[in-house]
Amino acid sequence: MTPPEIVVVAEHLAGEVTDVTLEMLACARELTHTIGWHVTCVILADDPKPFEALPLASGRTVIVQDPSLSSFNPVAYSKVLAHVLRDLGPRLVLVGNTNVGTDLAGSLSHLLDAPVVGGCIRIRSEGEGILFTSRMCGGKLLAQIEFRDGMVIAMLLPGSFNREGGMRDQVPPTEVRPSPVSLKGLPVRFLELVEPSLGDVDVRKVPILVAAGRGVQSKANLEAVEALAKTLGGAVCATRPIVDQGWLPRARQVGRSGMIVKPRLYLALGVSGAPEHVEGMKESGLIVAVNTDPEAPIFDVAHFGATVDLLKLVPILAARIEAAKGGA
Amino acid sequence: MKVAAVLRQVPDVVEELVIGADGRSLSEADLMYVTNEADEHALEQALILKGRDGAHVVAISSGGDEARAALASAVAKGADEAYFAPVPFASRADNHHLAATLASVMKGAGYDLILTGVWASDQLDAGLGGLLAAELGLPYVGGLTSVSAPAESAKATVRKEFPGGRLGVMEVDLPAVLGIQSAENPPRYVPVSKVMQAKRSLQAQTIPPAASHEARVHLRKLTKPEAATRAEMISGSPEEVADRLVRILRERGVA
Repeated sequence: MTPPEIVVVAEHLAGEVTDVTLEMLACARELTHTIGWHVTCVILADDPKPFEALPLASGRTVIVQDPSLSSFNPVAYSKVLAHVLRDLGPRLVLVGNTNVGTDLAGSLSHLLDAPVVGGCIRIRSEGEGILFTSRMCGGKLLAQIEFRDGMVIAMLLPGSFNREGGMRDQVPPTEVRPSPVSLKGLPVRFLELVEPSLGDVDVRKVPILVAAGRGVQSKANLEAVEALAKTLGGAVCATRPIVDQGWLPRARQVGRSGMIVKPRLYLALGVSGAPEHVEGMKESGLIVAVNTDPEAPIFDVAHFGATVDLLKLVPILAARIEAAKGGA
Repeated sequence: MKVAAVLRQVPDVVEELVIGADGRSLSEADLMYVTNEADEHALEQALILKGRDGAHVVAISSGGDEARAALASAVAKGADEAYFAPVPFASRADNHHLAATLASVMKGAGYDLILTGVWASDQLDAGLGGLLAAELGLPYVGGLTSVSAPAESAKATVRKEFPGGRLGVMEVDLPAVLGIQSAENPPRYVPVSKVMQAKRSLQAQTIPPAASHEARVHLRKLTKPEAATRAEMISGSPEEVADRLVRILRERGVA
């Protein structure tokens, strides 16, 4: 009997597979090691060249080639993937819990009559079943979900596996196929990809970052945070809610759809630590978090934490650092 | 142009979340609800389309009775019509069922755009937007930070977030379902007095739930995460915490 199949739906941007693609392959590889399933990585592209010689950790790579696949298009992807997945009949389909995977999961679920598990951070086999662990409620809860049979679509949260595990030392057998379905006259068209305007600060290059989260409460309070960052010789970055309020420019946003940063010091002020933010900062050298909620998930990634009122702490800390400098 | 915005009530994660006796669900009695944050942005984007292009905005809330308060707030902000989709507690995270319920009243109702938040905080399913689009046979694009849909143009131009702060500009034929990540402006504030006024005169039509179906995603266990590593907590007054932090930062050579 041929072993059950896992299909990893690759994401790529500007000719490169994204980190979450490698992380999904690492996840699939872990499953194959324990239960011997077969992994196929499916890549949709107009030009197969950048992907043909990639040493991906899949049993094989299938590249579906069509001019309409030059950029991500949710309708084109869904149409092609529905055909490919019907053909391959996998037990498990992995997509990213990303803005790409989220566009595909609903329509694939409908077209293939398959359930979807979102927010997955762990997947393992248990007897005949597959056991999924998912994050919910901003990372404050973990849910365990089990499926005993049939095809399941799982959305893997970025950052749940090491991307290095998605590569190996040889190129798997790779097959380039034309699209199995016409992609003419699609109701969605990709016009252009706009690079971020960085403004005055590139937070990816600053060694000391002071992150402002919702706990900062108001734009006026940001002044003290800015002053602290200046005293430390660093810059202020932020979580999405702060940027959505228009208090800081989009280029300062750290997280899944913002910047991925790795400073020597990440001082998180009033940051709850939602998974989409943590993805962008968890590899920082030293992480210090201040949040009045002792259950805030940020304390799971921080090295040091305190639950004092950040508005009281910030000016005192700035003064102490200034004084320490004078005494150095 | 007729635009719908879906407002789901979700557990307020700022409050303590209590796991119920069954170990598989949240304790209903201990829960506080808020409108899902991304859905607040979906409503704001709909109201921006109303201000800019004269869209007729229909607010649809789902959840328990607290969802009516969300409708009053939406009407106070400028929504033109209100619908309430009651969802029993046990089915709150089942977007397949909610999509089927909403599709039953949206089909053939002349919507040009249906806006949902791209994600709900209590969700373990696929996103509502993609499922609703599939039910209605419409295109779906999500993760958006702006929507422009000039009246009579029969298409929308949207900006979609990609990793690294990049944005994809896309064109979508209408009607369509769009998943909003954040609106062009932060959700507007409306004074409590206006919400109370809207609440008194609120006329919300109730959407009957879709025929019950068997949920496919079953929770076996709900737990609070136990981190492999946990921060070393510094206790004391702000002064004491500051002193300790300065020592730590100096030891590590970052201050």
